[in-house]
Amino acid sequence: MNLSELIHEFILALIEPGILVGSIGTVSFINTANSAFSLGLVFTCISLLYFALNADFIAAAQLLVYVGAINVLIVFAVMITDQSVSSDSEKCGIGYFTALGACSILFLTIVCIFHKLNDFYSSSIHQSEYLKLNLFEQNDVQNIGYQLLNKFLVPFELASLLLLVALVGAINPARDED
Amino acid sequence: MNDINSFLSRLNSTINFSTILPEIILIVGLITIVITDLVNKGKNAIFLYKIFLVSTLVSMGILFYQLISVIAFEDLYTNNIFNNLFRFFILICSFISVLLSVDYVLCSKISLAEFPLFKISAGLGGMILSCATDLITIYVSLEFLALSSCFLSGYTKRDIRSNEASMKFLLMSGASSSSLLYGFSLLYGFSDGQVQLDNIIDKILFSQYLPTICISAAFILAGTAFKLSLFPFHQWTPDVYEGSPTPVVAFFSVTSKVAALSLFTRLFRLIFPYLSNEWHIVVELLAISSMILGNLIAVTQRSFKRMLAYSSISQIGYVMIGILAADLENGYASMLTYTFIYIFMNLGTFARITLFSLRTGTDNIRDYAGLYMKDPVLTFSLVLCLLSLGGIPPLSGFFGKLYLFWHGWKAGLYISVTVALVTSVISIYYYLKIIKLMLTKTTNPVDTLKTYEKQKSLVSSVISTKLKSSVEMAMILCALASTLSGLFMDPIIKITRNTFF
Repeated sequence: MNLSELIHEFILALIEPGILVGSIGTVSFINTANSAFSLGLVFTCISLLYFALNADFIAAAQLLVYVGAINVLIVFAVMITDQSVSSDSEKCGIGYFTALGACSILFLTIVCIFHKLNDFYSSSIHQSEYLKLNLFEQNDVQNIGYQLLNKFLVPFELASLLLLVALVGAINPARDED
Repeated sequence: MNDINSFLSRLNSTINFSTILPEIILIVGLITIVITDLVNKGKNAIFLYKIFLVSTLVSMGILFYQLISVIAFEDLYTNNIFNNLFRFFILICSFISVLLSVDYVLCSKISLAEFPLFKISAGLGGMILSCATDLITIYVSLEFLALSSCFLSGYTKRDIRSNEASMKFLLMSGASSSSLLYGFSLLYGFSDGQVQLDNIIDKILFSQYLPTICISAAFILAGTAFKLSLFPFHQWTPDVYEGSPTPVVAFFSVTSKVAALSLFTRLFRLIFPYLSNEWHIVVELLAISSMILGNLIAVTQRSFKRMLAYSSISQIGYVMIGILAADLENGYASMLTYTFIYIFMNLGTFARITLFSLRTGTDNIRDYAGLYMKDPVLTFSLVLCLLSLGGIPPLSGFFGKLYLFWHGWKAGLYISVTVALVTSVISIYYYLKIIKLMLTKTTNPVDTLKTYEKQKSLVSSVISTKLKSSVEMAMILCALASTLSGLFMDPIIKITRNTFF
């Protein structure tokens, strides 16, 4: 392993525990505001992961949208609602074990898929094609803009209509009727 | 100007605008509704409904013209008969369900303007879902449909049950679409970055990565079975159907099921042909359990809408037999014919329930007792639609089921067809129970029928005569289609025949 690969591994080793700690904190903090802030930590670490994977536009979009808008909204909502003191009803009933079993099966499935993906991407044919793509000289944002208006025009316009309908639908239950 | 010209010509070469013209008309209708509502400041809301009806009719006309002259196409949309038929079905669903919802929304005194907006957007989402061939378009249009349906189900915001229904619908549809997205991401990864369905089939090495394709199929099945409300994913259906306002339930029970059917058929037919034995068995199991569960639980229901929810779960079980029985010479003819008839039967039943609940305000089956005395027209048409749902000859439901089961038996699905026949008999039992209740005289004085008279006069004085007939128009349309489609079965089957791909 040369120096650049070593640095890459080091950065990944820093980001991944951040995601893990943040997500465990989100589910297990009793105070909901702490949960909301650790969700922010998870989103920030995911955007750092995108930087490490050389997808700069997606990383910036993740920071702006997820951390800057969605997480801020979640924190607002949590802080506005009343915090009732939650009781320690931690009964390990049958629901707990069923959920544990289902989640562990899901986890094993995902691990199995990752192994297969590793085989797929390390086959020699694939690596030579990948090197030919020459990713480091492309302009990401320009490419995305081009494809959005050519190949993906229909989903793009449809997503803008979706935003309109979502706005109307969000205001509709919340407004005052006269 | 030069740039705009070259852009437009390049755009026209990538997307042929005449093929998505029906959707464009719907979008123009949507924008017109928004602008008209802003300009009119809330007055004259009936005009918005007229805009909706006009745009849907124009869209249907253009789609009809396209159906007759099939235009060959590429890339994001394919224009074969299968997709066009589904778009046509969804337009019919939207049109009839708006006809029967005008009175209800007027009576319940909630704001009128957003209702046609959400209905148009849900119809638009369904139409684009029916002909998308691209993972991204499928996902965006599915979310469009789900989000608009969720807003529709929470429309009567003063009603707690409506709030609960839309909450449940939102959460469960979010969970299922995340599962669908995970299945899609596996397909995207293993086909080396392809998003179009055809390119995915070309590039995935099915033999080598079979376990992963199976896992992806399982996730996609979980995601689409939610929308179809097949067996283990049906939990949301009774609560959402009972809580939402009745015309919205009418819209849901046909549109989202029809759109989800087209998605399910296309995905499983195109992407997983190598797995056809495996997913056939799984879908057969799901269909059998939906039929059994839907019909058995519907027997015990006391609320009409909840009973119809369980009965629609079982109807989807029957339609699954049609999907499994598709073969080369007949295509998906049985499924398409039964879906067409199901749309009219279901919408007809819901139209009459809407009228009844407008006049009496209840949803209990017990309160339908002795309806024959008070309103014979309503009783008779409701009897027709219920018998058609149960599958009694000579109504069209019988012919649809006959064709479906015959196809299934020919394709070798012996267990499914036997279970379907048995559960059809059970379904006839609970439909006949309601019919008997309506036609016989009651012994105890029922208060609801007294309020029936009072409400009727109130309603007819509030609404102008032109509107009052819109529900009745929907009723008559559905009644005619439910009875006469059986006679016109042959041409319908001939149209739906060459839909195998």
